[in-house]
Amino acid sequence: MKILKANAGALTNFEVLEFLRSRGAGKDTTRVIAPVAPSEYKVFDYLEQSVACNQTKESITDFISRSEKFKLAKAEIINVINIRPSSVVEIDSIVEDCDGRFGENIDELVDMVAEVVPLIKSITCKEFGYCF
Amino acid sequence: MFYLSEIDHTMRVPPSLLNLPLNEAIQGELERLFLDKVIANLGLVVSVYDIKSIDGGFVFPSDGASTYTVKFRLVVFRPFVGEVISAKLSESTINGLRLSLGFFDDIYVPVHLMPNPCHFEADAVNKNQVAWIWEYQEENYPIEAVDEIRFRVNNISYPPIPIEADKESHRFAPMVITGSLDADGLGPVSWWV
Repeated sequence: MKILKANAGALTNFEVLEFLRSRGAGKDTTRVIAPVAPSEYKVFDYLEQSVACNQTKESITDFISRSEKFKLAKAEIINVINIRPSSVVEIDSIVEDCDGRFGENIDELVDMVAEVVPLIKSITCKEFGYCF
Repeated sequence: MFYLSEIDHTMRVPPSLLNLPLNEAIQGELERLFLDKVIANLGLVVSVYDIKSIDGGFVFPSDGASTYTVKFRLVVFRPFVGEVISAKLSESTINGLRLSLGFFDDIYVPVHLMPNPCHFEADAVNKNQVAWIWEYQEENYPIEAVDEIRFRVNNISYPPIPIEADKESHRFAPMVITGSLDADGLGPVSWWV
């Protein structure tokens, strides 16, 4: 076995969730018919109850284009998309040297995140009973 | 948290799969070989993303199966150092916490990476378990089992496979993530929201 490229691209949680959904993970309640292995189902369960559950492709691309002016590193952008910080203190744990780089703009960043990427996943999922 | 990795592998497709179309047989074999396994320095393989090329199909002498050289991409779980991840509490002992992601259980938060200062109280129910409590500004914040806990990845190590089975009961973990709770915004989400 030869590893050609250890890193052929980073994936956000949302992209992995989409990939598993495209294989039919969400639609099959018996979990036997779809071509998805039990270990993949565990990953699917974890992702469904994370904030990735109600993100869409448009919201992600929108977020990326809007975050360009904040000059965030790629790892930080992925972290923000995966965690969905809703307050300054959460952003502080994700972005290095928050005060030095942003200062006042930190509130702007928090507002932008709340606006572009849907917020409280548990409420949306509970309303419908499942994540579509 | 997840990366795509491109792998090149020469594999034998057993003759029992000859009735399947080639793509399906190779996909099935790849899943059997790689899914839910840890590749050193690459991470835990979650899924086969796609197959880029299949070469070969040679049958070696005295072998009933054909051998293919396949290039494919895998989705691997490999968090980077400094990543913040949400996990659930699996057990808490005097050595620290153990967190679980459902599909991955070997995440340890040792005592020196817990929020400072904190102390623990012995749990009445289970002799080995201990409840950790963080003291901050005169208030006590316990870490309960129900919370979603955010931790920052401190280190990932891939211990080498032991040659002899250890007498201890600890199951061998091919990939161990060490996490830290010692920063603003980390720890149970209920502390900060």
